[in-house]
Amino acid sequence: MTDFRDLVDVEDLDPDEEQRLRRVHELLLQAGPPAELPPALTTPGALPSSEVVPFPVKRRPVTALLIAAAVAAAAFGGGYLAGHAKSSGPAEFASARRVQMHPPHAGTALAVLRVASPDSGGNWPMEMTVRGLPEQTQRASYYELWLTRNGKPAAPCGSFRVHGAATTVRLSVPYPLKRFDGWVVTVQTPSGREPGPVVLTT
Amino acid sequence: MATDGELIQRAATGDQNAFEDLYRRYARSVFGLALRRLGDRGRAEDAVQETFASIWRSASSYRPERGPGAPWVYAVARNAIVDRARARSETPAEVPEEPSSEAGPPDRAEQSWVAWRVHRALEELPEREREVIALAYWSGLSQSEVAEFLGVPLGTVKTRTRSALAHLADLLGEELA
Repeated sequence: MTDFRDLVDVEDLDPDEEQRLRRVHELLLQAGPPAELPPALTTPGALPSSEVVPFPVKRRPVTALLIAAAVAAAAFGGGYLAGHAKSSGPAEFASARRVQMHPPHAGTALAVLRVASPDSGGNWPMEMTVRGLPEQTQRASYYELWLTRNGKPAAPCGSFRVHGAATTVRLSVPYPLKRFDGWVVTVQTPSGREPGPVVLTT
Repeated sequence: MATDGELIQRAATGDQNAFEDLYRRYARSVFGLALRRLGDRGRAEDAVQETFASIWRSASSYRPERGPGAPWVYAVARNAIVDRARARSETPAEVPEEPSSEAGPPDRAEQSWVAWRVHRALEELPEREREVIALAYWSGLSQSEVAEFLGVPLGTVKTRTRSALAHLADLLGEELA
């Protein structure tokens, strides 16, 4: 359990203030972690004039069985929602860490990866904005974000396609990030190996 | 900044911006409440949708003289979640032979309300205070590891933690009494 004295230096606190902060500390422990809002619920969607409020995404049971498709859908859906949110007031992404990615050699592409605090289940929400990567030349081509170990792709974090100058996608990974040493983005083609060539790295 | 009650009253007149502000303030808290009660992310998502559909439909029933907006939103959410839980229970639950050691309904309700208030208060904090609280309390990282993760000195983490707790104390005045 998190100990109050590990978190706050109490030496310079007066007793009343210490008691007040300790009570908050207890309430935080009692409340437990807040849930991370799923990308599908990031915005309420457009309201109609009728009394019933439709929401943009309705789950389909089959997606639970198609894990790979769900990961891709989450990435695309997150990017869609993030893009749409910008026009009607974006939902804030509470990032705890910001990482820049650049081409391994020469190039003008750039990505900013923002990592939020993990949720109660150990999922780390991430939001990545990519600029300057070429659009896919084939329908089945895509980019993939990986966590690296010793600089090598080790754990996939999600797939995405780019469109236009900048693409923003939201992803979530369940891995303990401390076990990895960075991220790379690879380009994947239907006939290519996985992981494919690295186009961005930290 | 508009109060919750003002937003509900404006939503009752069809003000979509007010409704979206309410959604931004409460979607995460409603989802958290639903997830704890229902234990399933998909059903919790459905409960969030039903909650805000109910808020939109019944905002005109809110009476500010009866109290602030947060308890009203909480009550709407709780009803939507209970409805969803009932819809799921197709077979009657078995009666346990031994008394359960889990918290009873009054205790659970109290815990849910406290979690609701605390999580709402967290959303009022500046991002850098909120992140340090989340990392310190729920990521399993020590303060030194939090400092390393954020790339800031340990003293900064401690200062932010104390500042965040003080802000939360201000926001949670009634719960501290």
